[in-house]
Amino acid sequence: MRAAFASALALFAALPAFAQDNLDTLDNAALLPKAQAEGKVTVYAFTSRIGRVETAFEAAYPGIDMVSFDMSSTEQIARIKSEAQAGLPGADVIYISDAPVVMTELLAGGLIAPYVPPRVAADLPDAMKSPLLAQRLSTKVLMYNEESYPQGAPVDNLWDLTTPEWKGKVVMVDPLQRGDYLDLMTEIVLKSDMMAEAYQAQFGKPIQLASGVENAGQQFIADLFANDVVLMGSTDDVNAAVGAKGQSAAPIGFTSYSDRRDNEDEGWALQVANDVMPANGIVFPALLAVNPKAANPAAARLAVDFLMGDDSETGGDGFKPFYVAGDWPTRSDIAPHPDAIPLDQFNGWIIDPAQTAQIRAEVADLILTLQ
Amino acid sequence: MDFLRRPGLVPTLGVLAVLAALVLAPLLTIMGQTLGSAAWGDVLASRLAPNLFWRPLANTMLVGSAVALGCVLIGGFLAWLVTMTDLPLRRVIGFMATLPFMIPSFATALAWGTLFRNDRTGGGAGLLQGLGLHIPDWLAWGIVPTVIVLIAHYYALAFTVIAAALGSVNGDLVQAAAMTGASRRRILFGIVLPVVTPALLAGGSLAFAGAVSNFATPALLGLPVRMQTLSTRLFGMIEIGQTERGYVLAILLIAVSALFLGIGNRLLAGRRSFATITGKGGRGTRMALGRAKWPLCAVALALCLVTTILPILLLLAASLAPQSSALFSGWTLHFWTGAADPAFARGQPGIFQNPQLLTAIWVTLGVGAAVAVAANAVGLLTAIATTRWRIPFLSETANQLGFLPMLLPGIAFGAAYIALYGAPIGPFPALYGTPLLLGLALTAATLPYAVQTGRATIAQISGEIDEAARMTGAGFFRRIGAITLPLASRGLIAGLLLTFVSVIGDLAIVVLLYAPQTPVLSVLSYRYASDGFHQFANAVTLLILAISVIATLAANMLRGRKESPE
Repeated sequence: MRAAFASALALFAALPAFAQDNLDTLDNAALLPKAQAEGKVTVYAFTSRIGRVETAFEAAYPGIDMVSFDMSSTEQIARIKSEAQAGLPGADVIYISDAPVVMTELLAGGLIAPYVPPRVAADLPDAMKSPLLAQRLSTKVLMYNEESYPQGAPVDNLWDLTTPEWKGKVVMVDPLQRGDYLDLMTEIVLKSDMMAEAYQAQFGKPIQLASGVENAGQQFIADLFANDVVLMGSTDDVNAAVGAKGQSAAPIGFTSYSDRRDNEDEGWALQVANDVMPANGIVFPALLAVNPKAANPAAARLAVDFLMGDDSETGGDGFKPFYVAGDWPTRSDIAPHPDAIPLDQFNGWIIDPAQTAQIRAEVADLILTLQ
Repeated sequence: MDFLRRPGLVPTLGVLAVLAALVLAPLLTIMGQTLGSAAWGDVLASRLAPNLFWRPLANTMLVGSAVALGCVLIGGFLAWLVTMTDLPLRRVIGFMATLPFMIPSFATALAWGTLFRNDRTGGGAGLLQGLGLHIPDWLAWGIVPTVIVLIAHYYALAFTVIAAALGSVNGDLVQAAAMTGASRRRILFGIVLPVVTPALLAGGSLAFAGAVSNFATPALLGLPVRMQTLSTRLFGMIEIGQTERGYVLAILLIAVSALFLGIGNRLLAGRRSFATITGKGGRGTRMALGRAKWPLCAVALALCLVTTILPILLLLAASLAPQSSALFSGWTLHFWTGAADPAFARGQPGIFQNPQLLTAIWVTLGVGAAVAVAANAVGLLTAIATTRWRIPFLSETANQLGFLPMLLPGIAFGAAYIALYGAPIGPFPALYGTPLLLGLALTAATLPYAVQTGRATIAQISGEIDEAARMTGAGFFRRIGAITLPLASRGLIAGLLLTFVSVIGDLAIVVLLYAPQTPVLSVLSYRYASDGFHQFANAVTLLILAISVIATLAANMLRGRKESPE
C-alpha cells in the first residue's frame, strides 16, 4: 500500500518533466494547436533581422503573435539572469551568439534548455545540435581591401602580421571589449601546435618562445601586440579602416566575412583572405535555445522550427534573412550561398565553445599584460 | 536630548533616508558582491594591475582634471559674458552654450575624427590630412583629442551652473564697488569670482565626474593608440563576463574620484558662506565691454559654433548619406521617412515608419519629465538640508551621497540596481522589468545635477528672509513653497533642464533596465547602431537632440519671463 502510494507520488513529481519531453518530440502538426492556444511567442535575438522573421512567422502561422526583441548577446545574458532572479518568464526563444559564455553560464545554470526540432535533426551534424542547436555559422576572419591589393590577399600566413611590413597596419576590435574577438585570440592559443608549424613555414626555423610565454599561440599574440596592432571600438570601424576605397596601402584586419555584403552600400572593397596558414580566423555558431520555464512552450518550439528554415532549397521565408554570403546554414540540406566560399573550403577554425570557455579568462589576462 | 531638538534634524534625516535607498544601497550591494573576491588582488597588486588599473587610473585622473579646468575656464568665461556684460548677441550665445551637453559625445568625437583623423586607422584620412597637412598621432588619437572633445561636450554643464549663479549675483555689491571706484578687473576678481565660487566648484566637479565616467569618447579616440581609461576597462570587463573585476574597478573609480574632488574642493574653497540673494537689492547694470565688445563676441560665437553646429551638421549628414565614407554625397530622406525597400538599406524602413518610434517618443518624454521632477525635488531638499542646517557629519554625508552617482559609469549603475532591486526584497516584489526601476535608477543617476544646481542657488539665498518667515510662524514646507522655490526658480529651471536632457539622452543605464515593451529613444538608436544601421541611429539621435533643444527653448522662455522686471 505504502509502496503504491510512493510510486504514485513519484509519478506525479515526474509529470511536468514528462510533459516537457513530450513537447520536444512532437512534430509541427501536433505542436500547432497547442501553440495556437498559447497565441503568442516572445523571442530575444541578437540581430535586427528577427524583425523580418517576425513578419514571415505571423504570415505562416496566423493567430500566433511573435513578439521579438533585438538585443546584443551580452545584454541578453544579463537580462536572462536577471529575469530568472526576479522570477519573470521573459523570453520563450533565445537566439544568441557568444557561445562560450552561453554554454557555461546559461546552459550549465539551467537558465536555457536545448531543443532540436525533430523535422531537421537528421540533417544536422552532431556538433551542430549538441549541447545546443546551431542555426548558422558566422565568422571573425582576416579581411583585406581588394581594390588596394588587386593581386589577391597580401598575406598567406598569420605570422606575416608580426613582420615589420605590417607594423601598425593590422586592425581589430579590442579583444577586451568584445567577446568574439577574445574567442578569436583564445582559438589561436588553443591551436598552438598549428601556429608552431606555420611559424616554421614562414621563417624556416622552429619557434623560440620568449620567457614566460607558454606556447606558440601566446607568442603570436605577444608578437602581434608588439608589432603595434591597432585596436578599435567596433567592427564597423574595422570595416571602414580596411575596406574604404581609395587607399593605396590599406591595412588588414579581422572582421566578419558576411560584412562583405555591405561593400556596395558602404563603398567598401572588403574581401576575405582565405589562403592563410594555419587558418584565417574563427567560425562560430548562432545558437537557438528555449526557456525551460517558458510561458509559451509549444509556440517556442514552433518558432525554433521556423527559424531553422523550411524544406526548400534555400530554407524559405524563415531562413531568408540569414541566407547571405558569408554565413553558412548548419543544415546539410540547405544549399550554400552561391556567392560565398563553401564552408568545407573555408580556412577558418570552427570553435569548440567548451574548450574556449576553459582558457578564455587566461587569454584575456595575457592580453591585459600586453596592452 | 539637545541633539534631537536641533533645528533641521528631522528633514536632514529624511533626506538621508531617501539618499540611502537611492544611492547607498545599490553601491553597498556591488561592494558586497566583491567582498573577499580575488578580483581585488588582481586589480590592485598582480602582474595585471599596471594595465588593468594603475595606468588607466592615471589617464582617467589626467583627463578628468584637464577637462574640469577647461570647462570652468570656457564655461565661466561664456557665463560671465552672457550674464554680466553688454555683449552683443548674448541671448543667442547663452542658448548655444547649453547645446553641446545635448549632443552625444560620440558625435563630437566623430566630428574630431572627420577633421583630424590620420592614416593610423586606414580607411581614408580626415579633412586636414586630405589637404596635405601632416597630422601627428598625438593630435589625432589619445589623450589630447579626448580632453578637447570632452571639454567641448561638458563645458555646457559648467556654463549652465555658473550662469545660473551669476544671474543671481546681487547688483548692489557690484554697484557699491563701482561707486567706490573699483576697476572692472577688481570687481571681477574681488566680488564676482568669490561670490560664484560654489558654482565654479560645482561646475568643475560635474565636468570632472562626467569626464571620468565617459565611455564613448576615450573608446573612439583612445583605443587606436591603446589609451585605456577606467571606464573603457570597466566596460570591457563587463562585456567579456569578468563582472567582479568590473565592479572592483567601479568602486575604485568612485573612491579615487571622490578623494580627488574632496582635496580639490578643500584647496579651492576658502570661505563657505556666499549669501547674496537678500530680501532687498536689485539687478545690477551690465558691465560695458567697450572696444572689446565685438572681438569677445566673435570668440564666444566661434566657440559655440565649433562645439554645436559642426557636430550637428555632421550628424545630419550622417543621417542622410547612404555611405559613411562619403558623407556629403547621394543624400536621401529614406533613413527618416522611406518605406521598406528590399533593394535599399537591407530592407530597413525609415525611422518614422517604425511603429516603435512613437511609443518610444512618449515613453522617453514621460520618463524624462517624471525623473526631472523627482530628482530635483530630492536635490532641492538635499541642498536645503545641507546648506541651511549644518549638522556635523549628517549634512556632509548627505552632500557626498548626492554627488556619488555622478562618478559611477552608467553600465555599473544599471548592474548595481539590478543586483539590488532585481529580486524580491521581503514583501516587496521584484522591480525588474518595470518602468519604476528605470525611473528610480535615473533619478539617482541625475541627482548630482539636481543637488549641485540646487546648492549653488540655495547657498546664495540669504537666511534672513527665511528667518523672518519662521518668526511669523510659517512651517518648513510653507517656507519652501513661498520663499525658497520662487527665489531659487532660476537655478531650479536650470536643474530641471539638465536632468531632463541627461535622462532622455542616457543609454548606459537604460540599456540594462528598460522593459522591452516600453522602449525609449536612446535604446532605439543603440539598436540601430549595433546592427550597423548608422544613418537610422543618427536620425534617432537628432530626434533626441531636437527634443532637448525644444526643452531648452521652453526653459529659456520661462527664465526670460522671470527677468522681465529688468
